[in-house]
Amino acid sequence: MKQILLITDGCSNVGASPVMAAAHALQEGITVNVAGVIDYGTIGELGSLEITEIAKAGGGVSHIVGTRQLAQTMQMMTRKTVVQTIQQAVNKELKTILGDGSLEELPPQQRSQVVQVVDELTETTPLQVALLIDASASMKPKLAAVEDAIRDLMLSLQAREGRSELAVFHFPGRNSTEDAVMDTDWIQDLGGVRNLFQRIQMKGATPTGPAILKVIDFFRYGTLDGQTWRGNDGEGEGMLGDYVV
Amino acid sequence: MTTSSRPAYPAGTVITGKWHNNRFVIRRVLGQGGNGIVYLVHKAGYRNLYALKMGYDTLDLQSEINVLTSLQSQSRHQDGLKGSFKTPFLLEVDDFTGMGKEVPFYVMRYIEGNPIHHFIRRRGEEWVGITGLRLLEKLTGLHRLGFIFGDLKPDNVMVSDYGQVELIDYGGVSKIGRSVKQFTEWYDRGYWNAGSRSSDEAYDLFAFAVLMIQLLNEEGLKAACAQLLPQTRNCSELLNLIGRSPRLKPYAPWLRKAVQGEFPGSREALAAWKQQIYAPAISGRAPGKTPRWLINTFAFSVIMLGAAVYFVFFK
Repeated sequence: MKQILLITDGCSNVGASPVMAAAHALQEGITVNVAGVIDYGTIGELGSLEITEIAKAGGGVSHIVGTRQLAQTMQMMTRKTVVQTIQQAVNKELKTILGDGSLEELPPQQRSQVVQVVDELTETTPLQVALLIDASASMKPKLAAVEDAIRDLMLSLQAREGRSELAVFHFPGRNSTEDAVMDTDWIQDLGGVRNLFQRIQMKGATPTGPAILKVIDFFRYGTLDGQTWRGNDGEGEGMLGDYVV
Repeated sequence: MTTSSRPAYPAGTVITGKWHNNRFVIRRVLGQGGNGIVYLVHKAGYRNLYALKMGYDTLDLQSEINVLTSLQSQSRHQDGLKGSFKTPFLLEVDDFTGMGKEVPFYVMRYIEGNPIHHFIRRRGEEWVGITGLRLLEKLTGLHRLGFIFGDLKPDNVMVSDYGQVELIDYGGVSKIGRSVKQFTEWYDRGYWNAGSRSSDEAYDLFAFAVLMIQLLNEEGLKAACAQLLPQTRNCSELLNLIGRSPRLKPYAPWLRKAVQGEFPGSREALAAWKQQIYAPAISGRAPGKTPRWLINTFAFSVIMLGAAVYFVFFK
């Protein structure tokens, strides 16, 4: 199961529409969740509308939170999305078996059995979460909290029985041709990673849409190419650099 | 999280089950958990009181019901288990249509009492030993059935007027070996960088230790949480607190072991707790050192006696 978790504090202003990009992600089987981070002031009306729409188009959920609740919200959204995705698949199966039966319409006894299956799958399905961090200038004071939240999410994912991996990206890149930068490739443990965002240069532009498309490509490359992307340090980033949409 | 205020049903609302057609009358709201709102109800036409939990989400609530059912059927096979679920816990599972929506609910035994922190505040700290013991018994019972409680915090521990302890809100109960479903920052081992978020007996014991620290030195715990940055937060801060606080002293050796995950299991932890709370009465300070002031006064009185004898006989 694949997820993108976008962490941002406002509006995109460059390139392709992020809502359209999220729709593409969903098409590829990648759910997009959005955490809107506020701390000083509020996310404008436009910003919060965009956040909701990205999540809707990406088949995921969105929440607007302060940095203090960020860690818990990210954990909750990730888990919730796994459950939802599995539930959707199970509901589809149910419809083919029962003709017309969503979970809510089943009598309690059968419902209990279905939920057992969903719970089992929630715990054991392999999961990949790509974190996409908005590192535009206004996010700078929040990055430390974001990093803590990412470490906390990793801890929760490590407790799962199924294989769980994280990759971290931020945007914008160092120059205008670079829409997203990889901070870490797929990993199952953040213990060895000292500083997630050491190469960040804060800039004003917020190319959320192009960055999402980049991450979709990253997922696609991983699944298309027979040889895995694991273990080849450095190569992944190079790939990302010249893989232009 | 998503515990924003949801509209609660007013007293007198009748909840009619869709599958079993039983009717329950709402008396008041008892509390709010991660998965739903709990009401105090009575069955229409009867006086007995029950707790009725309405779920926010069918799947989440059903998952909780599954845990309760499995606990109940398993504890039936294990007789004579202390701290198990003797009276039927889960009475009914059903749906009803409210505010134009299907709402899942279940009815369970009503547990009368107060959250443990209120109880201790009112009754005094000398109750920590016995309520702690009973809480550990409950946890050990749960562990023997292959589950951990997960989201252990004061609000989920009810204490009756006479110190009987019951766990409420089974939304965080997780199978041993699985990931912990629900947790609360302070009591979470992961939050203190003191271990994983996988369900094992030590996870509950860690939360229990933090809960005890909170009961006996809440200010200290608050200060420790506020000062620390997430990267530097670790269990040595808790250990310092245990060492510093005089009120935690009687429990210090036990708490240290629990925080560091040194108990092999909850049974050993339970035995150690028992030994600890009953130890002071037997081997306390009685045979210890005589206080300094007593020695000094005694020495002084011997000198006075000597002086008196001298004056009487030799003058």
